[in-house]
Amino acid sequence: MSPDNVDQTVELAPEGEVERINLTFRIQHIIMLTSFLLLFFTGWALKFHEVEGSHRWIQLWGGPKVAGIVHRTAGITMLIDSLFHLCYLGYRASRGKLRWDLIPDWQDIRDLCQNFRYFLGLSPDKPRFRRFSYLQKFDYWAVFWGIFIIGISGLALTLPTKAALLFPAWTSNWIWELIYIMHSDEALLAIVFILFWHFYNEHLRPDVFPMNWIWLTGKMSVEELQERHPREFERLFPGAKATAAATVAGPVVAAAEAEGIAAPDAAPETTAPEGDASDR
Amino acid sequence: MRQSDGAGVTFRRAWWVWLLCSLLLLPATARADNRSCLSCHEGMEGMFATRAGEHLDLHVDGDQFAASVHGDLDCTTCHLRFADDPPDPPDADIDEEILTLSKQIARKSPVDPIAQAACIQCHEEVYETFRASVHGANIFAKQEVDGPLCVDCHGSPHRITPRGAPPPGGLPPSSVVYENVVTTCGRCHEQKRVSLKYGFSTEIIARYNESFHGKKYHLGGQNLPVCTTCHGAHDVRSQHDPAARVYDANRVVLCGQCHAGANERFVAAITHKPLGKDNPVPYYAEKGLILLTFSVITACVLHVLLDLYALIRTALQARRRTEQR
Repeated sequence: MSPDNVDQTVELAPEGEVERINLTFRIQHIIMLTSFLLLFFTGWALKFHEVEGSHRWIQLWGGPKVAGIVHRTAGITMLIDSLFHLCYLGYRASRGKLRWDLIPDWQDIRDLCQNFRYFLGLSPDKPRFRRFSYLQKFDYWAVFWGIFIIGISGLALTLPTKAALLFPAWTSNWIWELIYIMHSDEALLAIVFILFWHFYNEHLRPDVFPMNWIWLTGKMSVEELQERHPREFERLFPGAKATAAATVAGPVVAAAEAEGIAAPDAAPETTAPEGDASDR
Repeated sequence: MRQSDGAGVTFRRAWWVWLLCSLLLLPATARADNRSCLSCHEGMEGMFATRAGEHLDLHVDGDQFAASVHGDLDCTTCHLRFADDPPDPPDADIDEEILTLSKQIARKSPVDPIAQAACIQCHEEVYETFRASVHGANIFAKQEVDGPLCVDCHGSPHRITPRGAPPPGGLPPSSVVYENVVTTCGRCHEQKRVSLKYGFSTEIIARYNESFHGKKYHLGGQNLPVCTTCHGAHDVRSQHDPAARVYDANRVVLCGQCHAGANERFVAAITHKPLGKDNPVPYYAEKGLILLTFSVITACVLHVLLDLYALIRTALQARRRTEQR
């Protein structure tokens, strides 16, 4: 694009990228997914112990004892990762860098309805997402809830005699059953959810296949941002449309950086580390 | 006629060869005194019906018997009624104690109760412990036929393997070893009739299998608690018996053997009771979580399918547009 094209209706295609997941969040995500997979691999065979193959699978891990140690180590790693995430969010909030825009609101419901209208062909327009679509928010909060339920119950199952000191006596007739159900059923939900939702949206969807590389790079091209998160694009580049022709990569990103939004260390506020809010 | 003569000769020859081989082989596999019993009983196959309507297996494998821990015993050490020579009437002198015992277990063990009473000759201590147990009391005091006697758990005494060693040649693994003990107990304790009659949970074995102990056990874990670890074997007692290890007041000690620091709220974890409405919190929590799982998964699958539909539709429209151009 050159200044000669000013009058033509060109599609805005600034080169350059914005960082949406900073390094700290990316590391949190990698720890999360590693521990998740280890927990999944060792826990699944325990849940479905009666299935033929579970026995062989567990022997592959060195027997139930070793598999149990792997499972507990991964679980504690995941809990530490989650605690770190919360502390990190708190730290960012104290520095005024937290945007709180991962919290669901009514606009998400409207986006959902619009998306279904689009799916069914009732409307030609896709919902115009902000920084996080409702799909990403769902991904994040599902994991958040899952870790809370599975983490608490898992901790109680890891240290049952210590946990028993905390329970009031009147709960003892049902608390163990409840903890076991919470851990086992909720884990099944988490695994199936990740396999369907997260794998489809971040791996199998044609536009990201074989995966959305943002979990490693943390960056999204401005073009992609405009396509997938138009309202976030407009927020970052308010003058983009008006100065379309004059816009080239350098100045836009520089402008964004000057605004203190897209610059690497000031970047994405509450991006989820739980392996979910990477961008679609 | 000639042909049948020929067949007769062949048969007679074969019979002599068989007899010769038996005589040559038997001393190597069983005690000389047992030869006369085994020469018939080794060849007996299938089930035999007695006049009383009992069905019994009269087959004895001489090699297995010789390899078993009882291989050095004479047949008549236990089968006291029988003389060494089968044609003699079975009325040998029998010790009064064994005779009394055999009458007590006659309902439970209708086929040769004397042989099953004869275990006491060598295993007196175990026998006495067993008689005091809840299984023993059911047979001796209540004259029920449900409780197990020696062979119900241990299997045939002709095939009992040495303790703590892999079974010697030809012997099946013992039914009371660690790997098999849950199955063995389950033969009775998985029966609904038995559970209802004696008022314990109908899903004891299933609930054990679903517990962390049971899961790890079935996945090949070693040194895990199986039925007998907590309930005892020959000394098994009712959970309502204050002398039982699993009696409420004794469970902190029992569980504490593995779980240091166990308290009363901890030991409440193991009940073997089915998840039912009588315990509403976990029952409805499970229902709720199943509902949550199904609705979340359904919503996700629906969303994914609709998304795919829209993607394909858009792609087809784009292709049509380029074709029209």
